[in-house]
Amino acid sequence: MLLTQQSLGWRIKSALYLITGSIAAFLAMPIFFIVALSFGSSQWLVFPPPHWTTKWYERFFDNPQWIDAALTSLQVATVTSIVATLIALPASFALVRGKFRGRDYLYSLFTLPMIVPVVIIAVATYSMFLSLGLTGTLVAFIISHVIVAVPFAMISIINSLKLFDKSIENAAVICGASRLQAIFKVTFPSIKPGIFAGALFAFLVSWDEVVISVMMASPELQTLPVKMWSTLRQDLTPVIAVASTLLIFLSLFIMLAANILRKRSQ
Amino acid sequence: MTTQSSTPLVTLKLLNKEYGQFTAVNHINLEIEKGEFLTFLGSSGSGKSTTLSMIAGFETPTSGEILLHNNSLIHVPSHKRGIGMVFQHYSLFPHMNVRDNIGFPLDIRKVPKPERDKKVDEILKLVQLSDFADRRPNMLSGGQKQRVAIARALVYEPEILLMDEPLGALDKKLREDLQDELRQIHRRLGITIIYVTHDQDEAMRLSERIAIFKDGEIVGLGSGTELYNTPPNAFVASFLGNSNFLKVRIKSESQAQFEQQLLTLGTQSHRIPDQTDVLLMIRPENIYVLPKEQAAQEPLAADMNEILATVEETVFLGESYTCTLVTQSGQRLMGKAVAREHTDVTAGSEVCVRWSTQHSCVYEQWSEQDIMKAS
Amino acid sequence: MSARIYSQKWKDTSLLLPILLFLGIFFLIPLISLLVQSVTEPTLGLVNFTELLATSTYVQVLANTFLVATLVTLFAVLLGFPLAWCITLFPSGWGRFLLNVVLLSMWTSLLARTYSWLVLLQSSGVLNKMLMAIGIIDQPLELVHNLTGVIIGMTYIMIPFVVLPLQASMSAIDPMVLQAASVCGASARTVFFRVFLPLCKPGIFSGALMVFVMSLGYYVTPALLGGVSNMMLPEFIVQQVQNFLNWGIASAAASILIAVTLVMFYIYLKVQTESPTSSHTGG
Repeated sequence: MLLTQQSLGWRIKSALYLITGSIAAFLAMPIFFIVALSFGSSQWLVFPPPHWTTKWYERFFDNPQWIDAALTSLQVATVTSIVATLIALPASFALVRGKFRGRDYLYSLFTLPMIVPVVIIAVATYSMFLSLGLTGTLVAFIISHVIVAVPFAMISIINSLKLFDKSIENAAVICGASRLQAIFKVTFPSIKPGIFAGALFAFLVSWDEVVISVMMASPELQTLPVKMWSTLRQDLTPVIAVASTLLIFLSLFIMLAANILRKRSQ
Repeated sequence: MTTQSSTPLVTLKLLNKEYGQFTAVNHINLEIEKGEFLTFLGSSGSGKSTTLSMIAGFETPTSGEILLHNNSLIHVPSHKRGIGMVFQHYSLFPHMNVRDNIGFPLDIRKVPKPERDKKVDEILKLVQLSDFADRRPNMLSGGQKQRVAIARALVYEPEILLMDEPLGALDKKLREDLQDELRQIHRRLGITIIYVTHDQDEAMRLSERIAIFKDGEIVGLGSGTELYNTPPNAFVASFLGNSNFLKVRIKSESQAQFEQQLLTLGTQSHRIPDQTDVLLMIRPENIYVLPKEQAAQEPLAADMNEILATVEETVFLGESYTCTLVTQSGQRLMGKAVAREHTDVTAGSEVCVRWSTQHSCVYEQWSEQDIMKAS
Repeated sequence: MSARIYSQKWKDTSLLLPILLFLGIFFLIPLISLLVQSVTEPTLGLVNFTELLATSTYVQVLANTFLVATLVTLFAVLLGFPLAWCITLFPSGWGRFLLNVVLLSMWTSLLARTYSWLVLLQSSGVLNKMLMAIGIIDQPLELVHNLTGVIIGMTYIMIPFVVLPLQASMSAIDPMVLQAASVCGASARTVFFRVFLPLCKPGIFSGALMVFVMSLGYYVTPALLGGVSNMMLPEFIVQQVQNFLNWGIASAAASILIAVTLVMFYIYLKVQTESPTSSHTGG
């Protein structure tokens, strides 16, 4: 009743189908719309487009500004993902394995960057890098991205570590491996999917980051979202649809990879 | 069964483990002989697993000593103790195949490849898993996983093998098969095994000696036969198998009063003062239930006791028969007889209940909890 | 023994050192100094706060922010509920598909989705054209660069954050409980309002709280879909910093935003009971 499909009346059921169908369409539509637009010929984004074309893709790839931005994004996201994972990994071990008090408080503290509005983190770090004269540098981008990416990496690693049966590590120790050897030879390989998923989430967070990047950016150094943002404020050119499509497909690809990894870790 | 002359392999001295206010293991002393199969038996929270963890080195004692060949293990980390261990949930390395799982201890010890492969093959044969060497653990059944775990623990020929409820997750039939296999492995290799379980049948079936744990203490230690036939205290009597307890009062060195009559007691280790209330324990299978007419024809032997009771209920259990009896003062007894030898008694009839004096045990101290069957 | 316990503690701390140092230096110190600026910049005292609360355009910003957050929360819960329900009803097939749509939308670039809405909602956009073609309207509606646009876009973005916790709490309900209620003689409507809905309450509550908190601090979508006249708090903060270099007012506004966020999040944590770090697999 209400939670089993058989027991719902047909009227409730069809109403529910209709409503959910429309909401799902509402959720999916903008994504498909943007992909379609990137192939449309209309400069004014008329839909359905009069012709299909790849000219906006050519514009995108011919423009060194877009390419540079995309490469910067890739660079920043890769380094961010690595640094965030390296910081999150030992922290996750301490939080899951440690027997000290206040673990839950520390956990909340470390996830704070996820909770504090990004705009505040952006303004705060902007103020710091401004006084250090570091705005518009790769270092500033990476450090500020790591702040918001660390919780995502940490949560993923903590979850896989919680699922990992510690007696497997103990088995390695009793077999003669030192604790460190056991962690490297047995625990890490076992939770590898979780660590990789965490790294991918961190990558995605950095790859998509807009607010902080807009503040950190200089005309010479921009990430893809920053370039999109500044272009967007002037006009709605379909080249942005191209950039969006690329962002969407990269996110989709990474999401799939992370999901497959997460399934494997369970 | 055990030789007390030579130095024991492992000695636990006043071993103690506290978690804040809670005492998990309370100053226990124990000597474990080389080559023996010793089982820690107890319900959950009795301290048996904590003791095992301390021997393995996963828990640090609050105080006390663990000696191996008279050398302290306290400051030796787990991986240098040279102990083998089999865990409750197999704890195989999920990312390695069976061969590499078993080879892991040898790889850690940097054993040369040819020797490593030879040893792994030998042990695979011992646990009958040669055909599964290249499988990952998730492709194995529970019984196979446990055999891999045993092989992994044996491959580097440790002096001691610790087993923490290794068969708990398996079904009954498989468990009994593996118990037999384990006994054979023990006999063939002569390795010392310390086994933890909450299952008394398993403990009886496997071990040469059993240590019964209760509230962090060892309350009974001995072979299964000793512990069953002459339990050292009321708790062990009630924990192992079934038992009847009668409350009686000591009247002389060898006699005690039950209801209106005198019962003869077996030989006592020391003289209990007269008028002491004690507990008399008799196993159900040592109780003979005779209809009154039949009792009249069979005279009471000198070393036998007899009391009167009413049959409350009889239950046929296939190989055996049990009957619940109520004495005149309302105390309950249980009698058990092999079905073949069972004499017919019906519920409600008055019967004579007999037992041999050597089949009873006397306990001066007990708590009501001890004699209530909890497990 | 004590040496060993000591070394264990030391080990835990050293594992936490990287994250503590990193977040301490680059996150906490800048954050705290930003908050401190609200009472020191330009002069010591609460002058920034009084200015913030006394200037009508500033108060308007605060009012906008809370209005938008409230409406977005309401709409997101209303639209998220049937979606979560459907996902729970069909754990495989359809429901799996719906869940994937939700996840896809959640993890697709925020900027891309906002851009898409910008194009969809503009006066020559698909939505207006469609409505005019059907004949509901003669003139294109002003759907963007105002609060309508912000609310549509934000609701769209927040729906997944309602669906996920709600779906989790729905799938934790034992269907037999509802069956029992209907066996007791309750009509479908009664079962829905008296049993099902109350059992979903924890999920609705945590989802709504999450959405409300996130909406308060959202910058990108309001900045792109909203108009100049109805700014929200995050955009206001950025504007004060970047255009007017008015750090005092900006940090006062940030302090209010962060205080509200943390209070809400504290309530959220109180609702969630399970400890996030404790391990399930015990020895």
